[in-house]
Amino acid sequence: MSAIKAEIPYGTLDLLILKTLKTMGKLHGYAVARRIEQVSGDSFQLSQGSIYPALIRLQQEGWITAEWGTSETSRKVKFYSLTRAGRKQLSVEVANWEKTIAFMARFLEEST
Amino acid sequence: MNPRRPLARLLALLRKRHLDVDLEDEIQAHLELAQRDAISRGLSPEKAREEARRRFGAIEQMKEAHRDRRSIRWIEALGKDFRYGLATLSRAPGFTAVIVGVLALGIGGTVAMFGVVDAVLLKSLPFAKPDRIVGVWEAPRPGVVNDTTVPQFFGWERSATVFEALAAEQPVTAALNEKNGPIRLSGDLVTPAYFKVFALTVAFGRNFTPEDGQSGADPVIILSDAAWKSYFGGDAGILHRRLILDGEACQVIGVLPPGAFDRSRIQFWKPLVFTAAQRLSNIHSLTVYGRLRPGITLAQARSQMQAIHAALAQTEPIQERKGTIAVEPLAKLLAGANLQRSISVAFWAVFLVLLIACANTANLLFAQGATRGRELAVRTALGAGRGRLVTQLLTESFALCVLGGVAGVAVAYVLIRLAKPLLSQSLPFTADVRLNLNVLSFAAFVVLGIVLLSGVFPALQASAVNLAQSLKQSVRGPSHAHVRVRRAIVIGELALSLVLVCGAVLLARSFLKLRELDTGIRIENVVTMSIDLPMDAYPTSGKAALFYAALTGRLHSIPGIANVGLSTYLPLQWISNGEAIQVAGAEKLVRVRFKRVDPGYFSTLGIPVLKGRGITGRDRDGTPRIVVINQALEARLVEAGMKDPIGKMVRLSSTDYDGKKPLMLEVQIAGMIRSERTASPGYPDPAVVYVPIAQAPSPHLNVLVRTGEETASVLPAIRQAVREIDPHLPLGNIATMQQIRDETLSPASRPAWLIGAYALIAALLAAIGLFGLISYSVTEQRREIGIRMALGARSTDVLAQVLRRALGMVFISIGLGLLGTFALTRVMASLLYEVSPLDPLSLAAGCASMVLIGLLAAFLPAHRASRLDPAATLREAG
Repeated sequence: MSAIKAEIPYGTLDLLILKTLKTMGKLHGYAVARRIEQVSGDSFQLSQGSIYPALIRLQQEGWITAEWGTSETSRKVKFYSLTRAGRKQLSVEVANWEKTIAFMARFLEEST
Repeated sequence: MNPRRPLARLLALLRKRHLDVDLEDEIQAHLELAQRDAISRGLSPEKAREEARRRFGAIEQMKEAHRDRRSIRWIEALGKDFRYGLATLSRAPGFTAVIVGVLALGIGGTVAMFGVVDAVLLKSLPFAKPDRIVGVWEAPRPGVVNDTTVPQFFGWERSATVFEALAAEQPVTAALNEKNGPIRLSGDLVTPAYFKVFALTVAFGRNFTPEDGQSGADPVIILSDAAWKSYFGGDAGILHRRLILDGEACQVIGVLPPGAFDRSRIQFWKPLVFTAAQRLSNIHSLTVYGRLRPGITLAQARSQMQAIHAALAQTEPIQERKGTIAVEPLAKLLAGANLQRSISVAFWAVFLVLLIACANTANLLFAQGATRGRELAVRTALGAGRGRLVTQLLTESFALCVLGGVAGVAVAYVLIRLAKPLLSQSLPFTADVRLNLNVLSFAAFVVLGIVLLSGVFPALQASAVNLAQSLKQSVRGPSHAHVRVRRAIVIGELALSLVLVCGAVLLARSFLKLRELDTGIRIENVVTMSIDLPMDAYPTSGKAALFYAALTGRLHSIPGIANVGLSTYLPLQWISNGEAIQVAGAEKLVRVRFKRVDPGYFSTLGIPVLKGRGITGRDRDGTPRIVVINQALEARLVEAGMKDPIGKMVRLSSTDYDGKKPLMLEVQIAGMIRSERTASPGYPDPAVVYVPIAQAPSPHLNVLVRTGEETASVLPAIRQAVREIDPHLPLGNIATMQQIRDETLSPASRPAWLIGAYALIAALLAAIGLFGLISYSVTEQRREIGIRMALGARSTDVLAQVLRRALGMVFISIGLGLLGTFALTRVMASLLYEVSPLDPLSLAAGCASMVLIGLLAAFLPAHRASRLDPAATLREAG
């Protein structure tokens, strides 16, 4: 429907979620999705639902944990938080991402 | 790689429902929260809901992605196929039940037999480092096993350095007087290092120490766990008890942990204490076991024992100077060549049945695949690929085989439970037959094999549907290739069952031969009972002689008892050797087996006296010593240079009343009787000397009683008679001579029954296969048969034609089956007694029964074909 906005780059969703959980602490799924949308300033298109497959994978890797709790509006929701392994993974992925950016920047500069 | 995620994905398979509910809840929460936000931004509830949904994206796609991520999808798909397969099978319960039943029989038998193979041949003995345990004995000639003498044992113990521990064992029975009356316990007298050989220590209490074996030591015993539990109720205070064994108060010093020995007949162990006389005696009475030191090979042990034997022969009274000393692993002793052969033959027999069951399954699946042509064609038309169809069909046969496997394991469990008494009789005590991990993995392996063997071809065949043809009604049944494969399967089944049937017939003939075997004695209506006189109550031979006299007197007065005899060894049972006759002037001793009997023995068993006289009541203590010999011994004596031995004097070695002091007696040979059989068939009659029990009493004896008609009715009277003479005397084993005869001959007959039963099942399965195929082809050729009948063929022609086709298959299979039988000649020969493995009569009988089975299986469909109404079939097909 709204294909005008760019899709979130492939493979970055994990990083976005980890980073969000690190900055904001414990969050439920909707809050994670909103936070990513807000930070991107609506420049990227995110189907909010697509964070859930990513969340289950991160959970299975042991980088985040989930528990049921109640939201500020006393709705039963699932909260996610970063684990120690998740913090480590985040720093690894940030480093990787920075390397990628540096490489891409250099590559694009030289090519032009 | 982080192993967490694959594990989590596997777990997710099991928690599928829970995870799905969880996800559903989470999506709901998300949508509600999003809707609230939208409302707070000023949208109407309707609009807000739409907005929330839109921004969430496609829900179902997300769910699929979620499942893909968290779990292993192909396994989930397989699970679905499996459930679908089970549903399909439950729609055809008859078909399913037949296949599962047939497979269960085949798998159950094979798995149970594998349990035996595993316990006897594969598993190592249930002791620490079992390969180090060996048996040691003297082998004067190849194939001859001599027990060890006391001087030999001490010589070995003194000089051998290859053993960590060396111990001797001698069986014993003892009367234990408990509150509930006397019981008889079996035990082993052992030297103190005995349990070190088996690397066993007591569960509580203490082990034997070298001091326990010194003469004059306090008598002590160690109990087996089973004896402790069954006779003393697991009494924790057992170590404070003294048990009265044969009148001797023995301190219980320990109880073994539960284990292999609980399956043996041994209930207690007592140190062997030797008298000064025994230390010099050359009676071969000990069985010796040793534990080799680490790193010592069998060859090293043998060569050292050989050297020790040669040195001992110089200094000790050893008769067999020439022989060698055998050192063999315990495992090899326990599972001898005969046992191994019986087990492997029985295993391959059941395995053949399994193959036949498998072929039958394949056959039925083929038939079913053919009838499902339309269903499969429809699925193909709806877009299912061939791979998908094969997977589905294979999953179905997998489901069938798993059901068959589960039922088969249940059958195996029941079989093992039922056969427990038989197994414990015929297998070594170390063999513990149970459904352990090994056996269950074997079962799983068998099931997989069956899926591959019986499922793959039918699945490929059925899935290769010609779409257009199958959907058109006109198709005249499956291709010729299909029928050819099924024919080949049925021929294979028939051939395999012929192999089994021929084997069964051969074994049955051999069994009949054994039954007719002349044992030289009359055993009808003879009951036997063993008695062991305790040393405390009967310390002298005189006391024992009084007991015999009282017992025979009382037994004679019981109405219904015709004859009474006493003997130290039962007829048809092996007599231990060790004694010899010295013929005046001859250098070499004549080895004899020594049996003490009373005057009634020969008449009770109907053994005729051929020369001289038998033993009479006048041969008492104090009258001149006489002996009676058998034919085999006469021949030996003549060989030793004695012309006409009857009436001559010889010197006979013997032992005194309690078996501890060797004696040399001057005896006159008073007569000769016809040889009685003393052991399994296949062995020549040994030389036996019969000594009047009144002149040489023994505390161990058997009573033989011949009754008028009903043997069971006199048993209470016999018990009563013994109780009246001595109320503290426990009665030993009671058995009829028929039972003893069966026991002696049974090793040869056991596989016969097993293989007979399996041959029957195999023939039945093959018959079912043939029946199925012929019925099928008759149905397929209805039209052709109809045309032929319309053209004038009589119903007998049709009948004959169908039967001819069936017989054609039977004859091919007979050819193949006979080839198989010839291939197995060598194996069979070892199991047969006086029957050639190629015995034409047996093979002919086997073939004839296969032809008969084939005709029976084909007759019903053939008969149906001959009754077809040509008009009706032509109309129906047209």
